Amino acid sequence: MPESQKSDTSGEVILSLRHIDKTFGGTHALADVSFDLRAGEIHALVGENGAGKSTLIKVVTGAYFPDMGTITINGSNFQSLKPEQARDLGISVVYQEFNILPELSVSENIFLGAQPRGRLGLIDNISRKRRAYELLERLGARESIEPDQLVKDLTVGERQIVEISKALSSDAHIFIMDEPSAVLPSRELDRLFSLIRTLREEGHGIIYISHRLNEIFELADRVTVLKDGEVMATKNVAETSNTELVSLMVGRELSDMYPPTDNQPGDVLLEVNGLDVDGTVFDVDFNLRVNEVLGFAGLGGSGRTTVCRALVGLADIHAGEILYKGQPVPKTPGEASRAGMVLVPEDRKMNGLVLNQTMRFNLSLPNLLDFVRAGVLRSRLEDRAIKRIVEDVQIKPQTPEILTENLSGGNQQKVVVGKWLLTNPDLVIFDEPTRGIDVGAKAEIYIRIRELTRRGVGVIMASSELLELIGMCDRILVFYEGRIAGELSRAEFSEDEIMRLATATVSTKGS
Amino acid sequence: MGPAEGKSPISRHFGKSLSFVRKNGSIFLIYGFIILIAGMAAIYSETFRTASNMANILRQSIILGLIAIGQSMVVLTGGMDISIDMIARTVALTVATLFATYESDSSLIVPLLFLGVTVGVTLGGINGVLITRTHANPFIITFGMASILRGVNLAISTTPIRGIPSPYLRIYDAKIGIIAINVIVMGIIWYAVWLFSTRTRLGRSLFAIGGSERVAQLSAIRINWTLVSAYVLSGFFAALAGLFVLARMGVGDPGTAEGMTFQSIVAVAVGGISLYGGKGSLIGTLGGVLLLTMISNVFNLMQVNIYYQQLLLGLVVLIAVAAYRSPRSVRPG
Repeated sequence: MPESQKSDTSGEVILSLRHIDKTFGGTHALADVSFDLRAGEIHALVGENGAGKSTLIKVVTGAYFPDMGTITINGSNFQSLKPEQARDLGISVVYQEFNILPELSVSENIFLGAQPRGRLGLIDNISRKRRAYELLERLGARESIEPDQLVKDLTVGERQIVEISKALSSDAHIFIMDEPSAVLPSRELDRLFSLIRTLREEGHGIIYISHRLNEIFELADRVTVLKDGEVMATKNVAETSNTELVSLMVGRELSDMYPPTDNQPGDVLLEVNGLDVDGTVFDVDFNLRVNEVLGFAGLGGSGRTTVCRALVGLADIHAGEILYKGQPVPKTPGEASRAGMVLVPEDRKMNGLVLNQTMRFNLSLPNLLDFVRAGVLRSRLEDRAIKRIVEDVQIKPQTPEILTENLSGGNQQKVVVGKWLLTNPDLVIFDEPTRGIDVGAKAEIYIRIRELTRRGVGVIMASSELLELIGMCDRILVFYEGRIAGELSRAEFSEDEIMRLATATVSTKGS
Repeated sequence: MGPAEGKSPISRHFGKSLSFVRKNGSIFLIYGFIILIAGMAAIYSETFRTASNMANILRQSIILGLIAIGQSMVVLTGGMDISIDMIARTVALTVATLFATYESDSSLIVPLLFLGVTVGVTLGGINGVLITRTHANPFIITFGMASILRGVNLAISTTPIRGIPSPYLRIYDAKIGIIAINVIVMGIIWYAVWLFSTRTRLGRSLFAIGGSERVAQLSAIRINWTLVSAYVLSGFFAALAGLFVLARMGVGDPGTAEGMTFQSIVAVAVGGISLYGGKGSLIGTLGGVLLLTMISNVFNLMQVNIYYQQLLLGLVVLIAVAAYRSPRSVRPG
């Protein structure tokens, strides 16, 4: 729950961008952007995909040279920065994709490329481990991470700490964090936040990029909203609201996000009884009806994804039965999709798309049989179907020959959703359908989901965004440590109630 | 960041063709090279620019072509077939031995052709099954197979095997005018294979597995079946190559297809098929095959030492790898 912030913004300005302008070909990526960061401040940067956040960061780190404007760091002015300069000036970025080597130890990774050396110029292991130890202690991570541990044995959150330590080791003063919470399970978020607060207390400046507005309110002192390359506003977090930020980002009201529903759930489509999966999920019972959206809530690791995967045959079912349309469920994803049951997976880059292939290739991959006549794929059939789905799902740009790796996150997700919609499914399971997607694309995906339930399809939606679940679902199952902690009907929906069940907090209200 | 608006139709067309060129850049590059080198050779060498030499080059490209096609199938899935040249040799020697044993009986030609193909397909199938069962690196499995087959081939014969019936040699010799019939057949094969890779479910599945095995699995592609098919195809084309060499040499040559695995990988890589799999085109492979064959032809005409040809092959590989390096940009979120 958001705590009240002291908006202590009395620190000196350590980074200042004034009237930065950057154009790529026909795209005006940054237009007269001014931004500053103070010492001892967490300054959030928000905006839709394509709003210019990445470009802005790249200007700060020296990856891009601005066409106009000045960058001032610690009092020195620059027209542009080279990456080495940025690094020497204390600027450091933590991306979502970590630059660490799994087979090396924590301390080796922290000092990668800058190993402490002793006599004779040889690497001084003892000094390195000691310094790693000190860094980890500063960050409050010493209980869980040892300098000698191999990185591959660490959790995602711990690897992130290693990444942050790496930045600290090079005497960084300005930390840029790009969606750091996106890769973390919920239980590791608190540690990340306290770590960032530690950095703030030490007097560093942190630029925090995130799509999750509730984090901004919990963590940041100020927030800057970018839209279409322009700064819409810079505000103290205490003086603004979720609604205001969203409308600045998007020009749309938050309440319009979730399409209304008047669907009446129909017959039972899926029955799950006594399901045990993988040794991590136990005794799961539920039903899904046609035209219904059933939500799966719960903290990371509570079993939502495992159940989703088990439904399509991607996990080891140890006990229990799953009945789909009254029959035992197919055992493999292939058979499941042929029977009309499809999974839109959690990680679209790893499990959803063949990134180095075109949109056309990806969209038709599960549907090839539909386009084959006499053993050969007919382009006309393929083209027609692709054109239809690209329009339906509003993928931009509409050229099917574009490589999916060049699409924005939102459009990539639309391709994944689109390819499964083409199979005419009867049951669609969405696992984190709008993770890492800008607000505009999210709204479009919600519209698609709502359309599905008007057409006789049953939907399961597993998500860590409570607002999304509350806005879209008819019922919500809350998972806790592999079991169902409770089921909420629409009338009972509330963020508090879901969190209470998800964390197995005993209710303080009288029963 | 959408496409720039307000461009004139001409510049939009130009932009579209520009992106077409950029996307299929490797293919343009390769064929550009071919034209360049052909042009230079034609200027310097009178012999080169004769029609019969051109026809010759096409015929010479058949062996490498067949092996490169087989290799492409496997490389697309992200694997590699090191044993492909040895499979070709095994087929050639086996068929030659059988011809010799049964006193060059011409009526055996057709059955032995089928047998040869069966041998190739079986060996490829063994590769495929081993790879899918053990989940081991295809490089290692096919490397092991190559070693085994090398031994088998030595056991079959260390000297040329005589006794091939003369009608069999027509496979190599038959011509219409100056164009050999096998060149025409090969052209059809190239077209059919290209069609297969882009327009059949199995063909697309090869790309899918190479691009992302997980996604392929989720998309109801039968991974094991597709992988085994890739190696079976490789064995199939290896067999065709072996049978063709047999017709060319007129004897069962214990040195059949020596070094052709490496050449096939060069042709595939130079032709723009990523060695990581999942990307590329058979058109590019054809270009790679033609380029290498042409270079070899030019060197022979100029009577350059065979060692220099090896050197050049190596250089070509390095240049191709350097030219096709696509900067994989890290997408931060």
